[in-house]
Amino acid sequence: MIEAFFEGLLLVLQWKAFAFMLLGIVLGFWVGLLPGLGGTTTLALMLPFIYAMQPIEGFAFLLGMHAVVATTGDITSVLFGVPDEGTTAATILDGHAMAKKGEAGRALGAVLASSLVGALVGAIALALAVPVVRPLVLSFGSPELFMIAIVGLAFIASLSASGARGMMRGFLVGGLGLMVATIGQDPQAGVARYTFDVLYLWNGIDLVPVLIGIFAIPEIIDLAVRGTSIAGELPKGSLNKGAFEGVKDTFRHFWLTIRCSLIGTFIGIMPGLGGAVSQWMAYGHAAQSARTDEERRGFGQGDVRGVLGPGAANNSKEGGALIPTVAFGVPGSSSMAILLGGFFVLGLAPGPDMLTKHLTVTFSMVWTIVLANVITVVACFLLLNHLARLTTVRGQLLIPVIVVLIFIGAYTGNNHYGDIIVMLVFGAVGWLMVVGGWPRAPFVLGLVLGKIAENYLYISVARYETAWLTRPIVLVLIALAIAVILYPLIQSRRSRMKEAARHA
Amino acid sequence: MKKALALIAGLVLLGGAPQGAIAQYEGKTITIVVGFKTGGGYDRTARILARHLPKYLPGKPNVIVQNMPGANSIISANHVFSVAKPDGLTIGTFNRNLVLAQLTSVPGVKFDMTKFAWIGSAASESTVLAIRSDLPYKSFEELRKGGKTVVIGATGPGANTYDFPLLLKELLGVDLKIVSGYSSSSDIMLALERKEVDARAGSYSSLQSFVDRGVVRPLVRARAVEPGIEKLPVDESLAPNARAKAIMALRSAPEVVGRPYVMTPGTPDAMLKVMREAFAKVMKDPELIAEAKKANMDLEYMPADEALKIMKETLSQPKDVVEAFGKYIKFGE
Repeated sequence: MIEAFFEGLLLVLQWKAFAFMLLGIVLGFWVGLLPGLGGTTTLALMLPFIYAMQPIEGFAFLLGMHAVVATTGDITSVLFGVPDEGTTAATILDGHAMAKKGEAGRALGAVLASSLVGALVGAIALALAVPVVRPLVLSFGSPELFMIAIVGLAFIASLSASGARGMMRGFLVGGLGLMVATIGQDPQAGVARYTFDVLYLWNGIDLVPVLIGIFAIPEIIDLAVRGTSIAGELPKGSLNKGAFEGVKDTFRHFWLTIRCSLIGTFIGIMPGLGGAVSQWMAYGHAAQSARTDEERRGFGQGDVRGVLGPGAANNSKEGGALIPTVAFGVPGSSSMAILLGGFFVLGLAPGPDMLTKHLTVTFSMVWTIVLANVITVVACFLLLNHLARLTTVRGQLLIPVIVVLIFIGAYTGNNHYGDIIVMLVFGAVGWLMVVGGWPRAPFVLGLVLGKIAENYLYISVARYETAWLTRPIVLVLIALAIAVILYPLIQSRRSRMKEAARHA
Repeated sequence: MKKALALIAGLVLLGGAPQGAIAQYEGKTITIVVGFKTGGGYDRTARILARHLPKYLPGKPNVIVQNMPGANSIISANHVFSVAKPDGLTIGTFNRNLVLAQLTSVPGVKFDMTKFAWIGSAASESTVLAIRSDLPYKSFEELRKGGKTVVIGATGPGANTYDFPLLLKELLGVDLKIVSGYSSSSDIMLALERKEVDARAGSYSSLQSFVDRGVVRPLVRARAVEPGIEKLPVDESLAPNARAKAIMALRSAPEVVGRPYVMTPGTPDAMLKVMREAFAKVMKDPELIAEAKKANMDLEYMPADEALKIMKETLSQPKDVVEAFGKYIKFGE
């Protein structure tokens, strides 16, 4: 086992594999910066090139490219509030808020450092989990996956403002997200829900245009109204020292970063949950670390912990997501589905063999993700302060560029103008929510988890009737969901009591 | 509008094509519009064809793939049918079940499958029902007599994972319980490994490796066949009456035209001829065959006239059969 772990590293370090990985990283970096050419499309375009490669080289190339896209996506989230892909949106809430306070460098430093920690923790957790991973995954049936979705929804409690009014708003918005998730043809009876006879709505609403609309458009309006640069009227000198501060933040909140990394890895391992879920659950957990009501309000206003959590989970999930793909042939995302195609091309069959006979190859993939992350993070650090300076560029110059970016970004997923309309509609919704003080995160959580919760609940009931409620892991997860909901209540009560004691 | 287009299309097809339009593709770009997202079977087939098709076309044009997902391919089919120009530069490849959407008058369908300029089909999909090997049923007959409900995992209505077992249950009286909502066929496979479900239906190519590993055993198949499953009983042949047989035959008809390739109605005859010949040749290309084999893709060429014949047969079913069919099968996925 340990032998295979290190042999896997040596395989990646062979010059040819390493060279292909570097090539993949460069391509991935380029694609990550170009708007509209998503990671998935690039993988599909590059797949033919691996016909002539050895398995290790082929995967070094593809995974190197794949790993980088997630990191560069975080950068656009922080700088402009524009989510590149569905999996980097949670970084916006606090990351972009920090950029607006003139702390873009610090936020970028934090997101990169936590990404790195996440990638490393993910790899180690994975190496340790290999012997138990098959039984672990197989012990999570549909009832358990449904309950994980419920735990995810419970995080709405910590993502809402405190007090009965805040909670109510949070859960209402979450419910709206769940409702939007039901748009389209349902997989049980084939009934078209909320489609209004519009073909575009048949397969449901795509996550990316919704995220771009709800997060990026309010930021653009805000930027236009303020008429300044993103970082406001800050003196120029104050920006530059930030990046290293962000690295220090990562170590200041080291346990949080580790915990969020583990959340990312775990959600990644579970087939059928997906990258967006892990990032938002990590954000929810990070928000739990607020000790007082005041700290709670700080989330979404530029608390560095809100950057560290999703940053860590975003990269730790990649290692985890390999597992269902490799060990069961069940791809967790569309990118993984293309990688799965790569398996066959390279003459490998996903299945139990990958955890025994071909374990070295599996570990070489994990190592590729780790190394690709290290290299990207180091390369990014060299650019960070230049990137951060973009936030001091006048808004009038920046807005046209960002507007073009978001339109292209929303359109290219499906090549359908409907996506543009969805983006604009949710842009309006997002703006109203910001103005009215309604939290946006619970909405996204509901949207991301809606389909998962619905389908697994249906399967659980259809298969087990009510018996699924008494399965041991389900019971544990029910308790966890209750704890997650009650936690912020207890915490705000405790802080109030302390406050009262101090005054008395 | 639709009628006028069809009329024009018909006129052009009837010899109104400009004789000077000899397909000359030099410096041009041909787009293959795929009705699904990147990464699926339809997309992968289109991409492998796009790589090898140029060498068989005069002037070696670029061939690119454009994904146009939505409404289970209806959007892309509508686009190729009436928005794209009939200039021989747009090829469409869509959900094989679109003909059933047309047959059952699904709202939003603005195309006529028999009016497309057909190029052919690149694969056939053979559907089987496979059951967990640790269950005692060794044959379909045993399963039928089994006396215990067998749980089937499925994605949703409109997919063969759902529709094939549904007809076995409704028309042949097999005691099945269909649980749908799994996100993909590989997801169902995982549920099968953890014994949440007992069996699943799907394309034989997606099940083959699990059959080889001894996880599942195929018991019954639909009409389309490929090596390895010839001996399995065919659902239609077990039908108790003509109506049931017709319904099952209707469900499996499009599977023989598993990867349809068409062009916009009204594409000049000369260009269509060039494209059909290139398609027939590329499907025999040794490099393409080797790549497809490596990528675990089963390709099978079907010429345009055969595909068109199946479309016409499917759409000329008597009204009562179509109505009965529509009661069971909903267009989806």
